[in-house]
Amino acid sequence: MEDYKYLFKVVLIGNAGVGKTCLVRRFTEGLFPPGQGATIGVDFMIKTVEVDGEKVKLQIWDTAGQERFRAITQAYYRAAHALIVVYDVCCQNSFESLPQWLNEIELYAGTQVLTFLVGNKIDKHAKEIPTHIGEQFSQRHDMTFLETSAKQSDNVEKLFMDIAKGLTKKAKENLLDTEDKTEFPTGGSTPISTFSCCRI
Amino acid sequence: MDKLTFYALSSPEKLDRIGQYLEQRLNKEVKWRRVEFVFIAMDALDQLLVSCHAQSLNLFVESFLKMVQKLLECEEPELQILATASFVKFANIEEDTPSYHRRYDFFVSKFSSMSHSGLQKQETRTKIRRAGLHGLQGLVRKTVSDDLQVNIWDPVHMDKIVPSLLFNMHDPSLYEEHPSFIAETVFRDLICRASYGCIKSVVKPVLIHMDNHSLWVPNQFAVKCFKIIMYSVQAQYGYIVISSLLDHLDEHVKTDPSIKSSIVSVLFQAVLISAGGSIGPSVLEVFNILLRHLRISVDNKSQNTELRNKEIEFEDEVINTIAFANNLPDYQKIEIMMFVMGKFPQFSSDEDTCAMDTQLQMNLLRTLLKVATKYETVTFSNAFPPEFLHPLLRMSLLDDSLMRVTVQNILQTLIDRHDNTQKLKPVRIPGDISKLNLTIEKSSRQDILFMKKSGMQFYWHIYENMQMTSNRVDNFEALYCTMCLLAVELGDGEILIELFRLALDIQQMIVTSAGLPLTHKCAIHGLIAAYMNLLTHLTDIPSLAEYISQVIELRREQYLFDQNKIAECFSNSGHDTIRLSSSFIQKPYSADHDFNVREKQKYNEEITVESLKQMLAEDNIVNKELEDKKRLEILETFRSAPFEEIVARSEAKSNHFHNKLNEILDMVVDPVEASEDDVNNATVPVYQMTYPDLFVY
Repeated sequence: MEDYKYLFKVVLIGNAGVGKTCLVRRFTEGLFPPGQGATIGVDFMIKTVEVDGEKVKLQIWDTAGQERFRAITQAYYRAAHALIVVYDVCCQNSFESLPQWLNEIELYAGTQVLTFLVGNKIDKHAKEIPTHIGEQFSQRHDMTFLETSAKQSDNVEKLFMDIAKGLTKKAKENLLDTEDKTEFPTGGSTPISTFSCCRI
Repeated sequence: MDKLTFYALSSPEKLDRIGQYLEQRLNKEVKWRRVEFVFIAMDALDQLLVSCHAQSLNLFVESFLKMVQKLLECEEPELQILATASFVKFANIEEDTPSYHRRYDFFVSKFSSMSHSGLQKQETRTKIRRAGLHGLQGLVRKTVSDDLQVNIWDPVHMDKIVPSLLFNMHDPSLYEEHPSFIAETVFRDLICRASYGCIKSVVKPVLIHMDNHSLWVPNQFAVKCFKIIMYSVQAQYGYIVISSLLDHLDEHVKTDPSIKSSIVSVLFQAVLISAGGSIGPSVLEVFNILLRHLRISVDNKSQNTELRNKEIEFEDEVINTIAFANNLPDYQKIEIMMFVMGKFPQFSSDEDTCAMDTQLQMNLLRTLLKVATKYETVTFSNAFPPEFLHPLLRMSLLDDSLMRVTVQNILQTLIDRHDNTQKLKPVRIPGDISKLNLTIEKSSRQDILFMKKSGMQFYWHIYENMQMTSNRVDNFEALYCTMCLLAVELGDGEILIELFRLALDIQQMIVTSAGLPLTHKCAIHGLIAAYMNLLTHLTDIPSLAEYISQVIELRREQYLFDQNKIAECFSNSGHDTIRLSSSFIQKPYSADHDFNVREKQKYNEEITVESLKQMLAEDNIVNKELEDKKRLEILETFRSAPFEEIVARSEAKSNHFHNKLNEILDMVVDPVEASEDDVNNATVPVYQMTYPDLFVY
């Protein structure tokens, strides 16, 4: 009846204009929207992928980078299973804001959250942040690091697949602790949009 | 469809299965993007939902909600709108069986996201936003009443819902279908449903939203939002909103003063709306915080003038807001006033406070006055608990004359129970006291007891006040008014005698003290004369009339006697002042004139008092000789002093004396009488009534 086994919430954060929306678009729709306007508040996409023969549904919340929407975007981290912190490899500024974002994650996100650091726009030539710098940073803060190009579709698929795999693995390990594990065994009345408990 | 409905109604136990089937079907249709079938399936679900009110609806709802979610996950705006519409229908159904495990996280997130829709096409965008808002409204309706369901008030949800509503309210519209209109409705709805514990989780996101979108300056939107909040919130919780605002102000201690003053002005609006008493127990806290901000603001004296001006604006805003303690019950007003007074440097051992600038002190006094004005005195012991009275009286001796006037005004508004203050404002000597239309009520035992206990405090401070060299006309006027009010409000036998004693003491003080300038002495003499006059009228003793006639007699003699002296005095002063403007000559003349009258009045009054005392108390008799001696003494002072004074002053080419005289003149005589002719004809209120022939030369 249900067409997926696990449901994960993924939230993208990062400065305005680093390409969060484009990453999501590239992944969910396979296109690169030119002249994408700034996201207002929070955008929502859904994509189902397959991990080890099991269907995994990714709810992707694409947040606005602009300062003024900070409050509402923070509200979305809380329930996230995975966070993707995005910076622009051609923009020193966006990289320098990373500690600030990590701080926010610490404040608002759950402790179990899986964090990915993504340097986007590697298709551009004027690269300001060398790969090893980003890598170092991610190691120091216990994040998985990837460089992507939403435009040329480099690593985009891999990014989301890695997340799906990582979360599935985690979910399997933690399955016994999952909050809604055996609460509603009958009647097909499963809770909606909870963590990894949608059995059929 | 009818058949299906009928079937479902007749065998509700099958509803569960029907739901599952429809759900499967719909899933397929969505997958294959057969939109028209999706519509049909959704319609079927809707109708079943609306028509079936059975136990098993609960299970059906699960399928239904899954379908709604499925549709919301679709890209197509139409499907999202359709899903929302269905959800709203569902939200309006009252379920009789509770559902323990339904979760709405996704809906909150999705509807909030929809409310922020940034779709390119304006029309679709508006539609989606509208749908999102309606969805949020449905969610609130659905969950708010049922404790068993998800707690919609949890910050997790409110942090999404509230900003979504506010974001849509940014550009107002009267058009009912406009997102902003819908958002406002939902917002009101949300707030009026909020219970005690939930207010904060609603207000907090509002405040953060204002910060993030820089909506404090200009603050129309913030004011609008908080007006909505204050009007919608259940009255007893209003104070939570206010305290949230204050907390927020705390967080902004270091930010731009213009933001702070905007916050305070929002606060002001909110306090205005909050009904009496709703500020509640944390009221002192509120004032404490405001006063602290006042301090901080005054303390960080910025060199930058622009910034400083902003700070001043902020300070005014704070004062305004504090003054709106008016909405509080009376007993709290006294508390507040005590509290505010505690902030004066005189009462704080804190070193830094000594440096508090006068502007702040003045502001605090203004605040006190505003609060006091709204206080309605019933008994004096309640209005002036010792902890309040003592510091207040101490403040009446502040160095700044303007502040002293304010303190007197505070005292007056607290003492006066019958709106007599204005009637006593100019110092005058009416022959017939009833012309003043004073409202006099016999004072109660309680009040008399109070005066027995605290009267000395009042007397001593008034006495000290009289001696201050920085006194100006309005100081004297204010003191006179306070004294009179005491007499009017508490004019009982023994207290009246005490008040006479006070007047005598003051008189004694001016006779003996050398420190006071002559102008002050004259003013005080005049003041005492007027006061004595009032007092004698308050004592309801027939033999007093005799004394009054005697007074008039004496006065006439002495007036004539002094007339010579004036001439003498005038020729001297006239000689020196002839080069000055003519008005100067004129005015000192009439002023001197008055002084003499007042001197005389004083003497007479003195006799009256003494005799009165004899009559009333039969003790404390002062010898006639002593009296005469005193009179001579004063005459002596009066005679010698004017020359020196006037000569000295005119030699110094200063207009000071002139001004002082003018002031005194104004105080005693109506402004009309500025010229000499008028003095003779038009001295209606002051002298003519009692002593009509006084001015006939």
